[in-house]
Amino acid sequence: MSQPLIDIRNLTKHFQRGHQKIRAVDDVSLSIGIGEIVGLVGESGSGKSTLGRTLLGLDRKTSGEIFFKGSALPTVYRTGDFRRYARSMQMIFQDPYSSLNPRMTAGEIIGEALRLHSDFNKADIATRVEEWLVKVGLSIDHWGRYPHEFSGGQRQRIGIARALILEPEFVVCDEPISALDVSVQAQVVDLLAELKRSLSLTLLFIAHDLSMVRYVSDRMAVMYLGSLVEVGRSDRVFFDPKHPYTRLLIGSNPEPDPEQERSRERVSSIGEIPSQVDIPAGCRFANRCPHAMDVCHQVNPALQVVNAEADERLIACHLYP
Amino acid sequence: MEATYSFDRIEPLARQVTRTRPSLSYWQDAWRRFKANPRSLVSLYIVMALGLFTVLGPWVWTIDPTAQDLDQISTPPGADRRARVVEPYTRWVPPNITLEALSPSRLAVIGEPTTQAVRLAWHPVVGASGYRVYRGIAEPNSPDALGLPLTDIVNAALTGFEDRLDLKPRTYHYTVVALSTEGRELEGFATLDVPVTRVITTSEAIERGLSERNGSALIGDVVYLDFHPLGTDYLGRDMLARLMHGARVSLFIGIVAPFLYVMVGILYGSIAGFAGGRWDQLLMRFADFVVALPFLLFMILFKMVFNTGPGESGVFAMLLAMILLSWPATARLVRGQILQIREEAYVGASRLLGAGSMYLIVRHMIPNTMGVILVTLTFAVPGALFTEAFLSFIGMGVAPPNPSWGSMCNEGIKTMLTAPHELVFPAVFISLTVLVFNLLGDGLRDALDARMRSAE
Amino acid sequence: MALLEVSDLHVEFEVHGGWVQAVRGASFNVNEGETLAIVGESGCGKTVSVQSIMGLIQTPPGRITRGTAKLRGQNILGGQTADGREIRGVDIAMIFQDPMSSLNPTMTIGAQIAEPLIVHRGYSYRDAMRRAQELLEMTLIPDAASRAKEYPFEFSGGMLQRAMIAMAIACEPSVLIADEPTTALDVTIQSQILDLLVDLQGKNNMAIVLITHDLGVVAKIANDVAVMYAGEIVEHGSADDIFYRSAHPYTVGLKSAMPTNRPGSEQRLAPIAGVPPDLFDAPPGCGYAPRCPYAMDVCESTPPLDFGVGHEHQSRCWLHHEDCPQPAAEIHRA
Repeated sequence: MSQPLIDIRNLTKHFQRGHQKIRAVDDVSLSIGIGEIVGLVGESGSGKSTLGRTLLGLDRKTSGEIFFKGSALPTVYRTGDFRRYARSMQMIFQDPYSSLNPRMTAGEIIGEALRLHSDFNKADIATRVEEWLVKVGLSIDHWGRYPHEFSGGQRQRIGIARALILEPEFVVCDEPISALDVSVQAQVVDLLAELKRSLSLTLLFIAHDLSMVRYVSDRMAVMYLGSLVEVGRSDRVFFDPKHPYTRLLIGSNPEPDPEQERSRERVSSIGEIPSQVDIPAGCRFANRCPHAMDVCHQVNPALQVVNAEADERLIACHLYP
Repeated sequence: MEATYSFDRIEPLARQVTRTRPSLSYWQDAWRRFKANPRSLVSLYIVMALGLFTVLGPWVWTIDPTAQDLDQISTPPGADRRARVVEPYTRWVPPNITLEALSPSRLAVIGEPTTQAVRLAWHPVVGASGYRVYRGIAEPNSPDALGLPLTDIVNAALTGFEDRLDLKPRTYHYTVVALSTEGRELEGFATLDVPVTRVITTSEAIERGLSERNGSALIGDVVYLDFHPLGTDYLGRDMLARLMHGARVSLFIGIVAPFLYVMVGILYGSIAGFAGGRWDQLLMRFADFVVALPFLLFMILFKMVFNTGPGESGVFAMLLAMILLSWPATARLVRGQILQIREEAYVGASRLLGAGSMYLIVRHMIPNTMGVILVTLTFAVPGALFTEAFLSFIGMGVAPPNPSWGSMCNEGIKTMLTAPHELVFPAVFISLTVLVFNLLGDGLRDALDARMRSAE
Repeated sequence: MALLEVSDLHVEFEVHGGWVQAVRGASFNVNEGETLAIVGESGCGKTVSVQSIMGLIQTPPGRITRGTAKLRGQNILGGQTADGREIRGVDIAMIFQDPMSSLNPTMTIGAQIAEPLIVHRGYSYRDAMRRAQELLEMTLIPDAASRAKEYPFEFSGGMLQRAMIAMAIACEPSVLIADEPTTALDVTIQSQILDLLVDLQGKNNMAIVLITHDLGVVAKIANDVAVMYAGEIVEHGSADDIFYRSAHPYTVGLKSAMPTNRPGSEQRLAPIAGVPPDLFDAPPGCGYAPRCPYAMDVCESTPPLDFGVGHEHQSRCWLHHEDCPQPAAEIHRA
C-alpha cells in the first residue's frame, strides 16, 4: 500500500481538570490514505472531536506521533506552523453559529485565508472569493452579508468555502451537518462529495449519524471512550459489525423503514456511557458488554487486524484473538 | 362553485424569493434598535445638548465665573434687578423727634428705606433704660423669634437707629424691644415691616457701565444690574457661568477618566485573557490587589503629594487617582469576554488559516467585545461624575474658586434654606447627567445585546 | 372518535412589521394508546402546534386565530377545559428536547416529580415522594431511591430525560406530548428512551404525540404520521402509508434526502433544492411549490385542499385533484 497521507501512531490527548485527568484520546492509531474518506463515529465522550482537533494542532497532543506525507507534525504549534500547514490541512466546523465571526461579512470570512497568505493581491482575492461563493452554491451578492442573515445550511457553506479556498489536501470535517435540517444535510453532504471529487481531497468525516457516515465514507472507524474499537470498510462494518459496541451502535440506529424496524430485534443496552474520568481497567466497554469475560475486565484489548483476506478489519476485542 | 384550475407544469424554483433587504452591519442594526427605544433617543439628545452646553456655553455666555456681583448676592433667578441711582451715602444722626411727628405709630421709618441704609425711630418707652433692635426676614410671631439682633442701645434717650448691615432688596421685619436697667427685655415690643429698595450710587453706576446715558448718570434714573439668568451664589458669582465652567471640569473628569481607565482595562484584560494560564492568574491577582486599595485614602494621598494650593485645580490629582484605581473592573470584564471568545470556533478557524495572536486579538476578539466595552464605558461615566461630585463636595476635589458641580453643591448646602437655588441647580445638573448616561447605557446595552448573541 | 383531535389550527406571531403565520391550518388526530409522529424540519410549525394545545404560547406576541383542539370531545385550546379544570400537566403532559433547561436546578429530582402529585392530585408530601421514587424505577433509573435526592446537574442527559418522563407520567395523563425528546441524546440512549416510551404506553394505555425530524425514529415507534411543512400538515396517514405509499412530494423528497441502509444497493441522496418559505410573507398557494418538481400553475396560485388518498390517508396536494393530468402514482418512487 502506498504511503498514507495521514498516519496517526499512538496518539494520546489528556485534559487536566484540577486533579482529574480526562483521557479524551487514548493511544489511537489510524492511517488515512490519499483520496479516502474515513468516517469517525462515536457517541458523546468518545473523543472523536478531540481527535480531529489534535490532528490539526488546535489541541496539543499529550503523546504519540502524527505523520503527514511521511514527515512528523509538530507537537506544539506556533503561528508559523499553522501558516505552513494551512495549505495542506484544514477543518470544517460543526456549529454554523459560532464558527463564523458575526462581525465579518461572508466575503471577508472566505477571503481571510487569502489575505493571511501574502502572495495574493486584492484583485486576485476578490475573484477567488466570488468563485468560491458560487462553488458552494451561494451567490455573488451574498458577499457583503453578515452571518446572521444566512440560514444554517448557508453558513455551513461559507465555512466550507473558507476551509477549502486554500485548496488543502486533507480536511477534517467535525460534525459538519449535525446542526442542520434533514433536507439541508443532504445538500451539504452532496456539496462536500462534489468538492472532494473536484479537488481530490482526503477527508476525515466525524459524525454521530451512522447512516450518513456509511453513505459518505469509504472506511469507518468507531470510537468509544477515547479508543478505536473497530475500523474497516464502511459497508462491511455497518452490515456486519463485529465489535459488541459497534453492534450496539448499529442496532440502535433507527431505520426509516417501518417494516425493517418492526422485524428488528430489540437491542439491549445496559446503562449509560461512563465519564471519561473514571475509565476502568481492562476493556472500556466491559461493564456494558453482553459478552464480557474475565480477561475483558483485566486486559485492554489492542486494535488488531482480523480477517485480512476478505475485508481488512481492525478490532479491539478479546472475542477476536 | 366549480373553480377551474390550470394544471400546467411550471419550473420549480422559478420564483424563489430572494431577500432584497439591505444588508445591515452589526452597528447599523444596533443603531436601528437604539433609535426605536424612545428613552435612549431622548437621553442621547440630552447628552448632546450637555455637550454643547459644556463646550460652546462659555463662548456664548461670557461672564467670568469668578467675578463677584456684590449687589446681587444669593439672588434667585428672576429676581428684580432694578436699582435707582442716588447720592452717595451720608451719615445720619438720629434726630430728636417730637412725639407728635411719630404718632400714631410707635415705630417708623425715617426717609426712604434703601439698600444704602434703613433709618428707624421710635417712641420712647416709659421705664426703659435701653433698646434692642431686631431684624427678621419672617413675621415675628413670638418674643423668641424676632430675628437677628442688630444693636443694643444703652442710652434711653436715643430712640433712633440706622441699619446698614448687608441690606438686600426685600422686606425686613424690624422689632424694637425696650430693655431694663439690667439689660433684660421688657414686655411689649413694636414691629414694623420695611420694604427695602435697591439703590446704587452714581459713581458706581457709571463705573460699571450700567447707565444708559453714555458716561453719566442722573439721580433718579433706574438702571438695571447685571443679568444672571440662574441667579447668583453666596459670593455674587453668576450661577450659569459657574455651571458651564463646572460642567467642563465635571464632564472632563467624568468622561476622560473612564475613557482612559477603560483603555487600560481593555489592554490589561485582553492580554490576561489571551495569555491564559499562569500569566492570567498573576495579572488577575494584581488586579484584585488594586481593587482592595481604599479609594478615598488614595485620593487624599494624591492630593497631598500633588500639593494643590489655592488657584490650582485638583483635576489632575483626581484624574490620576481615578484611573489608577478603577481599571480592574473593566479589565476583569474584558478578560472574561476574551476567555469566552477564545473558545469560539471562528477563532480556531482563523488560527488554522495561519492567523497570528495579535491579529486574532485585534481582528476577531476585540471587535466582538466592543458591545460590552461600550456599555461599560457609558455606565462608567455617571460613576466617575458622581465620584468627582462627591470628592469635591467633601473638599477633596477641585479647589476653589474653580467651580465644579460637586463643589457648587457643597457651597449650596450652606444657603440651602435661604437661597435654595444655589444647591438645586448644580444638584439637578448632576442628577440629570447621571440619569441620562445611565439611560444611554441601558439603551446601548439593549441595542447591542441581542446582536451579541450571534445565533438568530 | 379520536382521543385528541386538532382541527384547522391557525397560529400567528407578531414581529417587527407584521405577523408570521407559524401554523396555517393544521389538523391531526391521535387515538387512545397509539403514537402519532409529527415530522417536519425546523420552522415548519410542529412545536408551535403542540405548544398551543398546551397553552404555552405567549400572547402577545403569539395568537391562536382559529381552530379547535378537543380532548374526548371537549375543546381544550388554551390548557383548560370549559369548566376551568386544569388539563395541562394532568391529562396532557409534555416533555421537551433539552431536559436540563426544563428542570429546576435548585430542586431535587424527587421533589420535582412529586410536585404535580401534590398540586394536582392532592397527595401528601410523603406519599408523593414515595410515588416519585416508584416512577423513577418505572423509567428504569438505577438506584432510584438515592437518585431521587439528587439535583439535575448530577444526572446525565439520558437520565434527565427519564426523570422528565417520570415527572410527566406522574398524574397518569392520557396524552403525552414529546417534543424532540431524543434529538440531543446519543443514539444508544435514544433507543433506550424510545423503548421506554413504548413500554410505558403499553402499561398506561397512553397516547403519544411525538415531534421529530428523524424519519428513523418515526419508523421505529409511530403508528400514525403527520408530515408538516411551512405551517401545514401536508400528509397524514399510518406509518406504512407515509413510508410505502407516500402521497406528497415533500414526503418523497424527505425520504430521498435521508440515507437508507440496504445492503448491496447504491443509494444516491437527493437533496431538496431551495429553502422553506418565509412565513412572514405567507405564500399564496402551496408552501412547497417553489421546491416541488411537480409544481403546476394552480399550486402557485391557490392553496391546495386536503385530498383523501387512502383509508385514513390524506394529502394536501393538487396532484390528487381529479382533473390533474399527472398521475399521482408518479410521485411515489420505490
